Amino acid sequence: MANVVPVDEFATGEWYPGYRPEHFAAPYIVDAAGPFRPGDEQGFWFLDFHWSRGLTPLAATLWSADGYCWGTQHAAEALPLPPGRGITARFAGTHLYGCALPETDPREIGARANRIATNLPHFLQNYRPIWEAGRDELEATWQYFRGVDFAGIPDLTDLLTQARRYHKRSMEIHFGVMYPMLANFLGFYGACADMGINPAEIGKFLQGEDTKIMETDRELYKLALKARQVGLAAVFEENEPHQLREALGRQGGAASVWLTEFDDFLQIYGWRAEATCDVGVPSWIEDNTIPLGLVKTFLKKDDEHDFEAAARNARAERDEAIDNARAGLTREEQAVFDAGLASNQAANFPWWQDDHNYYIDLKVMLPLRWGCQELARREGADHQDDMLYLFWPELQDVASGRRPYAGELRSLVRDRRQYFDHWHAKRGDMPKVLGTIPESVEDPVLIEIFGLNPASIKAVQDPDAAKQTVMSGVAAAKGTARGIARVLQSSDELHRLEPGSILVCESTSPNWTPAFGKIAGAVCDGGGMLSHAAIVGREYGVPTVTAVGVATLSISDGDEIEVDGTNGTVTILSKAPTTTPDTAADAPAGVAG
Amino acid sequence: MAAETPDLMVHSCDAVVWIDEVDPQRAIAVGGSKMGRLAELLQSGVEVPQGFAVTVDAYARHCRESGLDARIDAVIGRLGSQASAPSEAQVEEASAEIRAMFRETPIGEDLTARLTEAYEELCLRCVDVNVPVAVRSSATGEDAADASFAGIFDTYLGVSGIERVLDAVRNCWGSLFTGRALAYRLRRGISHHAMPIAVGVIELIHARASGVAFSVHPVTGKSDRIVVETSWGWGEAIVQGLVDPDHVEIGKADGRVLKYDVAHKRIVSAFDFAVGAVTEIDMPAKLADRRVLDDEQVGAICAAVRAIEDHYGYPVDVEWVISRHRRAGDPVCIVQTRPVTVTAAPEEAAPTAYDPVALAQKYLFSGKPIPGR
Repeated sequence: MANVVPVDEFATGEWYPGYRPEHFAAPYIVDAAGPFRPGDEQGFWFLDFHWSRGLTPLAATLWSADGYCWGTQHAAEALPLPPGRGITARFAGTHLYGCALPETDPREIGARANRIATNLPHFLQNYRPIWEAGRDELEATWQYFRGVDFAGIPDLTDLLTQARRYHKRSMEIHFGVMYPMLANFLGFYGACADMGINPAEIGKFLQGEDTKIMETDRELYKLALKARQVGLAAVFEENEPHQLREALGRQGGAASVWLTEFDDFLQIYGWRAEATCDVGVPSWIEDNTIPLGLVKTFLKKDDEHDFEAAARNARAERDEAIDNARAGLTREEQAVFDAGLASNQAANFPWWQDDHNYYIDLKVMLPLRWGCQELARREGADHQDDMLYLFWPELQDVASGRRPYAGELRSLVRDRRQYFDHWHAKRGDMPKVLGTIPESVEDPVLIEIFGLNPASIKAVQDPDAAKQTVMSGVAAAKGTARGIARVLQSSDELHRLEPGSILVCESTSPNWTPAFGKIAGAVCDGGGMLSHAAIVGREYGVPTVTAVGVATLSISDGDEIEVDGTNGTVTILSKAPTTTPDTAADAPAGVAG
Repeated sequence: MAAETPDLMVHSCDAVVWIDEVDPQRAIAVGGSKMGRLAELLQSGVEVPQGFAVTVDAYARHCRESGLDARIDAVIGRLGSQASAPSEAQVEEASAEIRAMFRETPIGEDLTARLTEAYEELCLRCVDVNVPVAVRSSATGEDAADASFAGIFDTYLGVSGIERVLDAVRNCWGSLFTGRALAYRLRRGISHHAMPIAVGVIELIHARASGVAFSVHPVTGKSDRIVVETSWGWGEAIVQGLVDPDHVEIGKADGRVLKYDVAHKRIVSAFDFAVGAVTEIDMPAKLADRRVLDDEQVGAICAAVRAIEDHYGYPVDVEWVISRHRRAGDPVCIVQTRPVTVTAAPEEAAPTAYDPVALAQKYLFSGKPIPGR
């Protein structure tokens, strides 16, 4: 008896003001995105943690159409996944729910199994050239957009179309690589678990490889140390992140020199937005608040984070985990393990899962954003990002001059901003899952990226989730920590973390990484052994539990909690007073390895 | 019928056969499967205890000459003559009646003399007076076809002195008529005459440690490993499930210990000299959490298990003992072996190479949760 959570509440036919179904008209493979509609309760829908702010009209339609309904569905056909046809998307207000599309015809599943039997080995044998060709293609397109003078292009229509195609193509490449890598990794994972290897160890086998994201963190940390060296710590301490640029500018002297170096850093590492594939979110270059806030955060911690030592530890832990695992295997099993490990080292999913963000997730929406901003400037819009509140056909019409922005559209954008804000405030109350809830799922992205395992699927259905004090999840990074919980809805709130805080959130992405330099522990609703939080938690030695399902429901900001990343449990030790959440850096947290 | 007389003569000489003297080809037929296998093992070079079997012929002769046959048949005839199958209580009542007959019926003079002679010979061989022995039922067909018979016949450990040995032998004979065995034969329409019982009288190995070993994993059926379960003292507490034993897995190809889980062992089977029997007592605290076997001992057990599996050509389980007098390099002593009874359905062949497609199909696309998630 499957549990069914009705979608009726969200399948009202109402959506953003001025929405018409053709706004979602875009090629798809199996199922097109849209707001929830009656009948959708037959699917299993999970609240997608990537977009916890909610999505603007343009961001919502383009990601769901080009990312999920083209990117994943395309890749699920190309590999193919025998019982799965990728992911589709629905919206409850501005909040995106994903759903894996099952293939149920047994003959078709068999035919697809035959195809993957050819295609997966071919991919694994050619992983490097395949991924590097895709990456280089995207980098070439990226360089093209860097060279474009957006302000000098009279008609932005074609440029916007090119920018959208860049995003769409990036998703073909992204999922075209991700699905086979995940299939290989999860098969290896299953084999390891079946051979009696402790699942908590399996994630370690592939850790310790340097990524572009880790490189970014290291470079930013160097800048923080430099700031301290040249006596700027006080400036960072006295100013809020959004005031820092100005404050440093006023200071002059060493601060100006530092800002020059900071800008040089941004030219390499600053082309990244604060969210995955969200055209609605600025890059570090556009908005310095986040990187400067991160420097401020780094400076709060007195003891230096030794990246080299952390990397050495990660590699030593990896080698030890591999040795320990091999010691418990028979010679026959070792042959399977060694070959599987070699295959997964060559096509290292955990590494790719971090590294690719630099090339894809954090920047492929930026050219479209620049085009929208240029258009907004030309149209004299109220805000630089007003065009993100248009739908694609409207944007095309405005860009080509077929339809004026002034008047109806300008007014719609105002209404849509209100709609966005209204739903933004409701994020914390959104159901984690909707529709027909299964016991387990087969799509590798759902399993690994969203951490949808039988236990977490069960957890999110618990009607008393908000009352429970002990939760369990994936033991992602070992150790135990106690501290005050900071429940964050998105990375916009990262500044609320104090040294020793326990981070509680739906999930993290690369822009959260530097926060791991100061928190004592982390708890996520979603994410598996290889989710961002799990990888970074291990890298930084921060006890981390993922796939709890309901942590953001059960834990309130200010609660004192304990995270046991060795056993995968989270305990609420004492509830915060039910007054307004305090922001003081409460009692110092203890961390035990 | 001209051959009858010489045959009888052979039988009468064969009331007792020694493990180290009986022809292995005939061993199971005359000594039952348990004793017969020990003879086979000894022949193939495996270390087994000294001892002899009180043969199936000795049993048959005792039943015939003492009049037990007729009395047993009367009881069983009563059970079988009913219109419907007898109730469990009726079977148990018949069992108790027959077993009492065995206890109360003395063994004839001639047979007593032969058993006394054999026991004294065993004492001599062990250089001991009233040497403690294990008296074990060794039924024919016990572990051949139907494993459900395994372990239902009696075993007495630490029996000392001929009078007690004779008592134990009669009790073992009687155990051919436990309620379970009776019910089984009634259901199958098998006569008890068709499965006579032998009894082994073997030197009691003074066990420092003992246990069982399987030449395949008894639960998963994985054939690439040997599984050993062990505790201090005699093996009874392990076999009867009274103690949580140490669990060891060893790679069959290279003899490497893959894992060694030390259990908290609460009970130990120890020899009580005052009573003259092996009994279960609380484990001394200092031993409860101590690892039982070192690597050399594990290696010796595995060597024996591999030799036995090679000898028979099929997976086996083995009861073994490490005597107090064993030194490093000595073989361990095997007290019992039989074909392994794997509880798991025969597993699909374990993968021998890394096949990402097969593994993705098995773990990711099978509709079942991935193990460990």
